[in-house]
Amino acid sequence: MKQKAWNNIKLGVFVLAGLLLLIAGLYLIGKDTNLFSRNYILRAQFSNVEGLVVGNNVRYSGIQVGTVKEVKFLSDTLIEVRMVVEEDMQSIIRKDDIASVGTDGLMGNKIINIAPGRTGAPLAVENDLLRTEEGNSTEAMLAKLALTNNNLLEISNELKKTVQNINTSRNLWRLLNDESLPASVLESLANIRRATEKAQATVADLQTIVADVKAGKGTVGQLLRDTAMAVSLADAVKGIRQLENRADTLATQLSELVTTLDNDLATGKGPVPAALHDSLMVQKVHSILSRVDTSAARFNENMEAMKHNFLFRGYFKKQEKEKQKQAQAPQQ
Amino acid sequence: MTLNKPWADFLDELGGIARFATRFFAQVFRPRYEGAELLRQCFLIGNLSLPLVGLTSFIMGLVLTMQLRPSMVEYGVESQIPAMVAIAVVREIGPVIIALIFAGKIGSSIGAELGSMKVTEQIDAMEVSGTNPFKYLVVTRVLATTLMLPVLVLIGDSIMLFGSFIGVNIYTVTSFPLYISQAMDSLTFQEFLPAILKTFFFGFAVGIIGCYKGFHTSRGTEGVGRAANSAVVVSSVWIFILDLLAVQITDLLGYN
Repeated sequence: MKQKAWNNIKLGVFVLAGLLLLIAGLYLIGKDTNLFSRNYILRAQFSNVEGLVVGNNVRYSGIQVGTVKEVKFLSDTLIEVRMVVEEDMQSIIRKDDIASVGTDGLMGNKIINIAPGRTGAPLAVENDLLRTEEGNSTEAMLAKLALTNNNLLEISNELKKTVQNINTSRNLWRLLNDESLPASVLESLANIRRATEKAQATVADLQTIVADVKAGKGTVGQLLRDTAMAVSLADAVKGIRQLENRADTLATQLSELVTTLDNDLATGKGPVPAALHDSLMVQKVHSILSRVDTSAARFNENMEAMKHNFLFRGYFKKQEKEKQKQAQAPQQ
Repeated sequence: MTLNKPWADFLDELGGIARFATRFFAQVFRPRYEGAELLRQCFLIGNLSLPLVGLTSFIMGLVLTMQLRPSMVEYGVESQIPAMVAIAVVREIGPVIIALIFAGKIGSSIGAELGSMKVTEQIDAMEVSGTNPFKYLVVTRVLATTLMLPVLVLIGDSIMLFGSFIGVNIYTVTSFPLYISQAMDSLTFQEFLPAILKTFFFGFAVGIIGCYKGFHTSRGTEGVGRAANSAVVVSSVWIFILDLLAVQITDLLGYN
């Protein structure tokens, strides 16, 4: 009898284990279909749901919050999706949140993604209509891929042409096949290195010079550093300024003189204007000058006559010879 | 109208089983109830089958995972192994494999027990002494198999999934909560409930056929062995036939 009771207890444990597993299984499966939690309904309208069916998951920022309850036509271009969402989300989901149809992974089931709207609209309540956004459908992605493919084709064609041009270019190949090229390149590099070394030396020298100048050594250094110099420079400048003042005075006096002269000219006073204004005198001067001219011509004739006179010929010849000698002397 | 013998025998047996089942349903709701005997049978049929079911389930889950793995890795969906195994185990492998093991162990024992009682005329003696042998022997056993097989399947499914968890962890490291959530995410009630529901029918088939074979044993001790044997064979075949019917019915109802 004791054995029988013990057996019954064991049977009870066995059946209980089975029932617990049944409940656990039902709970684990039902967890995602929201059978055991309190829910509320949200709506969204799309023009294309891309194969969304009842039971598909609804995610808010990537977290499972509910499932699709109903997908129905409102008109030929509008489909309404009703979603069962956990009641806890009532304090999260807002009226302006954006619902879109997406795919779980690359090839997975369709899902509804709800993204925060971020405009601070009031919280969504039962039966509210969320904003929607047509997601990146596979078709659109493929269309874009086709475009990319075309571009790739063009690029590869261009590349092919470029490579062909390079291949057929004789000059390039001559350059590439030139065996002396590496040597000259190496030489150039060596030259560059030497030049760089020299430049470095120059820079070092310059640095020393600058350091010297800073220290006040040499002419430039003294120029820059000597304070006595500055004083004498200032003196010199002062002298120049005084000179300028005197030049000013001179200019004023000159200008006064010129003004007086001008006045005299205008009024006809003094000897100069008299000379300038007297037309008779001009005639006289003219006749004097013409006479001087005639006398000079005559004198010239007389002189020619004297040259040919036997009394003076010897003197002139001697003079000519000396001239020739003088011309030859510097040449020797 | 004449039928050749195999066909006639087959139809005769089918009709016999149908009549036997009708008799069971006629008796099951009518007092007096053999409660203590039912519990004893439940213990014998349910509890004592658990070690066998548990062992085979564990091995089945482990092997299934290890066998599936290479193909899944080849397709790059290694992470889907828990989901795949869970669907396979819960929908089909769990109920059918466990029911077949159950048929092998319980169907044969019922057939042999009732058969030996029949040939030793204990059943007739029971009837004479005023006890309803059908109620005492058949109704309790058939109820016990019908009720115990679903429990065994639930426990067996869990052990199979645990075996699969071990199988997954032989190659990679997956935590138990992650495994459970991956396995259960792919399951729906439409998969879970019909699978559990059909095990009641499997259990009923094993019990009713075992009892029928035992109750209709003839030709002495030789017949006992034949009764045990054919109880296992026929109930196994019926498990598959019922499985076929179940999948078609769930398909028709749109739960597939």
